[in-house]
Amino acid sequence: MTLDWSVVWTHRGALIDATGMTILLAVATMAIALPCGACLAALRLYAWGPLRALAVSYVEFFRNLPLILVVYWAFYVLPILTGFGLSPFLTGLAALALNVTAYNAETFRAGINSIRRGQVEAAMALGMSRVQALRRVVIPQALRRILPILASTWVSLFKDTSLVSVIAVTELAYVSMQVRAQTFRVLEMLSAMAAIYWLLGYPQAKLVDWIQRRYAVSE
Amino acid sequence: MEFDFSVIRDQAWFLGYGIAVTVALSVMSGLTSIVSGFGVAMLRLYGPRWLKPVVVLYIDSMRAVPVLVVIVWTFFALPIVAGLTMPPFAAALLALTVHLAAYAAEIFRAGIESVRPGQTRAALTLGMSRSQVLRRVILPQAIVRMLPAFGSLLSITIKDTAIASVIAVPELMRQSETVAGQSFQPIEVYTFAMLVYFALLFPVTRGVDRFYRSVAHLGRS
Amino acid sequence: MNDDDRAKADRPKIIRYRSVVKRYGTLQALGGVSLDVHAGEVVCLIGPSGSGKSTLLRCTNGLESIEGGAIEFEGAVLPRDERGLRVLRRRMGMVFQSFELFPHLTALQNVAEGPRTVLKMNPANARLRAEMFLAKVGLEDKASSYPSELSGGQQQRVAIARALAMNPDVMLFDEPTSALDPETIGEVLNVMKILAQEGMTMVVVTHEMAFAQRVADWVAVFDAGRIVEQGPPRQIFESPLTDRTRDFLSHLGWSG
Repeated sequence: MTLDWSVVWTHRGALIDATGMTILLAVATMAIALPCGACLAALRLYAWGPLRALAVSYVEFFRNLPLILVVYWAFYVLPILTGFGLSPFLTGLAALALNVTAYNAETFRAGINSIRRGQVEAAMALGMSRVQALRRVVIPQALRRILPILASTWVSLFKDTSLVSVIAVTELAYVSMQVRAQTFRVLEMLSAMAAIYWLLGYPQAKLVDWIQRRYAVSE
Repeated sequence: MEFDFSVIRDQAWFLGYGIAVTVALSVMSGLTSIVSGFGVAMLRLYGPRWLKPVVVLYIDSMRAVPVLVVIVWTFFALPIVAGLTMPPFAAALLALTVHLAAYAAEIFRAGIESVRPGQTRAALTLGMSRSQVLRRVILPQAIVRMLPAFGSLLSITIKDTAIASVIAVPELMRQSETVAGQSFQPIEVYTFAMLVYFALLFPVTRGVDRFYRSVAHLGRS
Repeated sequence: MNDDDRAKADRPKIIRYRSVVKRYGTLQALGGVSLDVHAGEVVCLIGPSGSGKSTLLRCTNGLESIEGGAIEFEGAVLPRDERGLRVLRRRMGMVFQSFELFPHLTALQNVAEGPRTVLKMNPANARLRAEMFLAKVGLEDKASSYPSELSGGQQQRVAIARALAMNPDVMLFDEPTSALDPETIGEVLNVMKILAQEGMTMVVVTHEMAFAQRVADWVAVFDAGRIVEQGPPRQIFESPLTDRTRDFLSHLGWSG
């Protein structure tokens, strides 16, 4: 078996672009999923009737489906639902955003619910309205609990961007496997792909650990 | 826009086979990863000092690298390195085990470390050996606390089996792709697949919640 | 204060509980409670756990609603709408068993929170006010400490300062010392004693019988959602009129 690692170097341009695409996907997904998740959590906590049921169903639905299936489903269904064809990038982004929104909604809801009722009562006993109590007492405390979980979700999202490779989005996994197919350098390209993900992901995982230590909440 | 779900009925055996493979792969990789994960956790907690950084590196690496990459590398690259051939199912099983064992190890570690040190001290004072302490006092309490996390891991396992479709393991995702491609009815087929996965996953998460609530008091010290 | 003729002291009734009924589903927490609290009085509510004392307190500032009877505050029946209750709560201070200080704020910020957010004071004035009330409870040197850095007794004193900073007409205490270590109970009770001496109207749910006997002007004994006996401390603690009261006190090992 002869190995030729120079293929990695030769194709470094494509790999770097692909890495950029991976990062872009992750950032764009979070940019959508954070506000949407917050809205959904608000609906679930404070709305009632069909609106609340809708929020609950959405979260339960997307938390119980494999993301890769959502990607395929989005690829085939979204064009029909929206009436026009979406690029693979947008389709992938939509699938990722739908998925992460559900997780964020759950994170926000659990964070807010974890604040003891007594805190709200103490705020209201001072004469604050529910909204004021939320803003000045509940949310500042909830954010402390929410942040570590969001960090963890981010790392998962970063890895999950690899799944949109199945609909030919030019992120790292897809491009690596394309180069592999073109050059037949299987071990080299796949190892390079693994190494790049590792180089990106390892520091992120350690950062999440640090965040969780720093923001550890003792009851 | 009309839907014709008869294609599901026509391909029932084919899709059913996919469901069976999904279940088989989920159960098997679930078991192997829990067993391996336990071993890894024991090495980390009670093993020789020089081994700890190695174990930590392994665990953190699995947190950094996507499952897809592990599966693809195991199927395409490992045979080149190790000089053996592996059928897709075996490769997927191996890849999933290696990946998930890291998470299982962390769950074990967190569960064991969460039992109050006073419990260990009390047990030792009674004259128990360390392994007895682990077996009779720590683990029973820890297991209860670990249940929700393991339920979550089982859920992730089932979802990750769908990724094995990229190396042509004939589980539900792959079978659905095939039927969808041949019948030109992707919406019906993928919707069916969604319903099946939901039906598999929803009871797992709910079931764990309920079971945990009924035994939670056993884990509090 | 002249025990024998409470009504003679023509102080206005700040709070009137008239046959208050409160239910949780089928469970009746309060079965027709009637009690008056006069201006400047210290009223202690005592009785076994679950007898409705805390429930009554929480109905007083609208944290819980009542199903029957009426609660009057300064002559007017308690409003039912949130906005009305909010305005009313500014005139009542409440101290909780679990302190409920806001953990993300320092002691000073905790005390200043009410004046800033509710009374819309400007931050500088709110700060000055907070410093004043922190000093009043003896914790001016802990102004920049977070609740997690304070002992239970210190936290509760900050909580009292936080309530006082709103300049309430009445202070409601819900078992203020029940969650405290014995060593720190004293410092909280001292603050409450000083408040009482300064003429603050106080309704206190407590298990501290010595405090009730020495500081209260009026004591109400609760059992199963009803007041079985009420009167000046001398009556309750030295010559109770009902067996229930006697039983309760003897269970506590109270010998006067």
